[in-house]
Amino acid sequence: MNKKIKFNAKNLDLYYGDFQALKSINLEICEKEVTAFIGPSGCGKSTFLRCLNRMNDLIDSVKIEGEIIFEGQDINGDIDVINLRTRVGMVFQKPNPFPMSIYENIAYGPKCQGVKDKTQLDTLVKESLVKAALWEEVKDRLNKSALGLSGGQQQRLCIARAIAMQPEVILMDEPTSALDPIATAKIEDLMSKLKKDYTIIIVTHSMQQAGRISDKTAFFLMGEVVEFNETPVIFTNPADKRTEDYITGRFG
Amino acid sequence: MGRKMKDVLAKSIIYLATGITLCVLLFIVGFIFVKGISLVNWDFLTRDYNEKVFYAFVQEEVVPMTIDAASLSQKDPYDKRYESSLEGPIYIENIGAAIAKVAYKNNATEKEQFVFSYIEKDSPLLSAIDSTGKKLSIGTDYILESINGTDFEGLSLEDVAAQINHETGELKIKVVQPGGGVRSNIITTLYMVLVSLLIALPLGIFGAIYLTEYAKPGRLVNIIRFAAECLAGIPSIIFGLFGMAFFVVALKFQISLLSGSLTVAIILLPVIIRSTEEALKTVPTAFREGSLALGATKLQTIFKVVLPCAVPGIATAVLLSIGRVVGESAALLLTAGTVAQIPGTLFSPGSTLTVQAYYVAKEEGNIELACAIGIVIIVIVIVLNILSRITSDKLNVFNKK
Amino acid sequence: MEAIKRKKLKEKIVENIFLICACVAVISLLAITFFVFYNGLKPFVSNSYSLWSFLTGVEWRPGSNLYGILYMFVGSIFATLGAILIGVPVAILTAVFIAELAGSKVGKLIRFAVELLAGIPSVLYGVFGLGIIVPYVLKISPMAQGESLLATILVLAIMILPTVISISETSLSTVPMEYREGSYALGASKIQTIFRVVIPAARSGIMTGVILGIGRAIGETMAVMLVCGNPIAGIPTSIFSQIRPLTTNIALEMGYAAGVHQELLYSTGVVLFIFIMIINFTVNKLVKAKVGS
Repeated sequence: MNKKIKFNAKNLDLYYGDFQALKSINLEICEKEVTAFIGPSGCGKSTFLRCLNRMNDLIDSVKIEGEIIFEGQDINGDIDVINLRTRVGMVFQKPNPFPMSIYENIAYGPKCQGVKDKTQLDTLVKESLVKAALWEEVKDRLNKSALGLSGGQQQRLCIARAIAMQPEVILMDEPTSALDPIATAKIEDLMSKLKKDYTIIIVTHSMQQAGRISDKTAFFLMGEVVEFNETPVIFTNPADKRTEDYITGRFG
Repeated sequence: MGRKMKDVLAKSIIYLATGITLCVLLFIVGFIFVKGISLVNWDFLTRDYNEKVFYAFVQEEVVPMTIDAASLSQKDPYDKRYESSLEGPIYIENIGAAIAKVAYKNNATEKEQFVFSYIEKDSPLLSAIDSTGKKLSIGTDYILESINGTDFEGLSLEDVAAQINHETGELKIKVVQPGGGVRSNIITTLYMVLVSLLIALPLGIFGAIYLTEYAKPGRLVNIIRFAAECLAGIPSIIFGLFGMAFFVVALKFQISLLSGSLTVAIILLPVIIRSTEEALKTVPTAFREGSLALGATKLQTIFKVVLPCAVPGIATAVLLSIGRVVGESAALLLTAGTVAQIPGTLFSPGSTLTVQAYYVAKEEGNIELACAIGIVIIVIVIVLNILSRITSDKLNVFNKK
Repeated sequence: MEAIKRKKLKEKIVENIFLICACVAVISLLAITFFVFYNGLKPFVSNSYSLWSFLTGVEWRPGSNLYGILYMFVGSIFATLGAILIGVPVAILTAVFIAELAGSKVGKLIRFAVELLAGIPSVLYGVFGLGIIVPYVLKISPMAQGESLLATILVLAIMILPTVISISETSLSTVPMEYREGSYALGASKIQTIFRVVIPAARSGIMTGVILGIGRAIGETMAVMLVCGNPIAGIPTSIFSQIRPLTTNIALEMGYAAGVHQELLYSTGVVLFIFIMIINFTVNKLVKAKVGS
């Protein structure tokens, strides 16, 4: 079964000032799968994730070389970054709902795109919340501040907020690291449902999590991709010694 | 496309607003400099505001001129702000000085006057005394009004020169020291800064020490903080009213340097308390614990460890305070007065630069002079700003370590 | 033993000295309140002037024993409102520029300029107003003089800029980066992020700045005195009317007033004082509310 390739990174180098954080990354990420990036802290997995929707633009000293082809276009080239970000949504490590109502949080993205029609927004908000498995919990208090939700609810709200943009890809940067096990389980559950419709790329610290939810796993070390393969292969029969050392817990 | 247009529009409005802010600043500073700069010179800074008339007693003594005629006429006898030359200088041997006739303008009035344009090094004028025998100094620019009772008004320069050459023995000369300067205001401002800081600094610093080092959070601390906040929000005219009712009238300090300083000291309190508190809070607890663990008392810890670390913060407080005193006007108008003189004692009035700027703008309608004083004030403000930047950078460096 | 005792005593004494110093602020505030109110309420308590005619009168003629401050009060309010209307948008947008759009070097430069603007004494703003704004207003004004509500508004609008800018800028800079990231990741542009997320999140800080600006505008005396005209009667009817704010009434006549006249100047101070205190309380509440959330 040959899936369509969504992202194709070719010889990607990234520098923070003089420090090279990513060293010639080559990765192909397939559509409608969960791809997990694992590796020790500071190995470049989050940095690479942030390249995929150009969030690194926000940091002044970053310099990027090489290509990332997304739908036939190099996103490091002259593209509309805003358009890219509407197609590639992102969920962050710490839940970061805006200090507004739940409804406004979800409607924020569409409104920024110029959607003004109230009924359209209403359906969009409801659909997104349903997809993010949050609707039942919040349907009675859509106009209450999003900051009143629990951490896990806030994170699902952030996922709902990303879904409301109807993206093709959702990037998740350690989305459960600030949550308790029950909230984590709910989010993992949600991810496996979402992969029917979306390409999901997740950075995680937890190898168990990668093993549970991902179809493919990339192991990052010191700014390089050491190994990239089907998840079961990585966890049971890694080709590289360093991968084996890492997943058996010998370092990291 | 609509969104892009909106973004561009919003962005240009933001740029416009910033532009307005910057333009306003440039415009104000520029206006004050352009209007006032022609008046600012050494004389402006060293003269008093009011003219001073006095009689000088001089022993006549023939002193030949040591420079040639050409360079004599080069000597600028007049201050271009007020005077324009009418007749060139003539050297008079028996007082060892040259005089010139000028037209003296002050607002609408214009008067012909004789001024000294050049004084020889060993001229008897330089050893002039007043009627009590006190030494006087007569300089170039001083106006010559009469000699031995003969008024010079209406005479020509030659007549005056001949008249003076005629006199022998002890000469009684009426001279006018020209005014228009701000020396007394600069000195009053300095006094005001010194006295008010002397009062407010210890109070503020000790108060801040109490709040950060001793006080347990509770009612008292809340009340003190609240009072300091309220004080910071009260407009200075209210402080002026209070100073007038309390220091000037109730304590009978009169309108004086002391009343002004005490009033300003209260204005400074919240500034000093807040900055010192902030500086003290940045000193790591570990320093205090270290000192206490070595057997130092709390007091020793505060004075030997905590306060020295907070010095840059306190310095910033001092600089801010100086800025406040220099800029203060409404409160001082009511408590220290508008007399342009150097206060001889704590109980004499005197006007600071800022009050003087107000006075000449409002009462005399002399914008140029107000701007000239403004230049002096702005220079002080800029220097203070730069200094406080340097000290607060020091504080930050300390924190990073 | 003796030495230790003495040491302890010394510590105690010094602590109390510190405490007294800290209390000076409280004592000063009480003394100010007492003296201003004591002098200001005297004429009404002793019935030498009626409170009602003081508060509702529209003429201030000490010569004919008429002391009404209503028109001054209205003048103060109009001048402040006008200044806020013009000054606040400019100030907030400038703060946005410094905090969000400017690079660090340009930001530093503008911040320095704003600090300088804050450091210029109010008298010089007045001199500027008298030298530039008043003559300019005169050119477009149907009245015979340029000193007017409009000139006052413009001078005050300039004077509140630094206060509002620096406080707004501080609160914009403390908005967490996560909010901005979240917004960008949803495909919002920089400007949309600023106006829809950052400014709303900094709202309470910005409000504090605005209220402090109001306080500054109402309390301003010297600059206003030079440009407002100080008429002896009349509620302002147009922006070209002269006004006489509460503050300038005090400063103008305190120097020579005596008797009831002087006491009623204190009464003017009381009205101003109450006004300012209301504003202070509001700020306090806002700040506390912010800490609470």
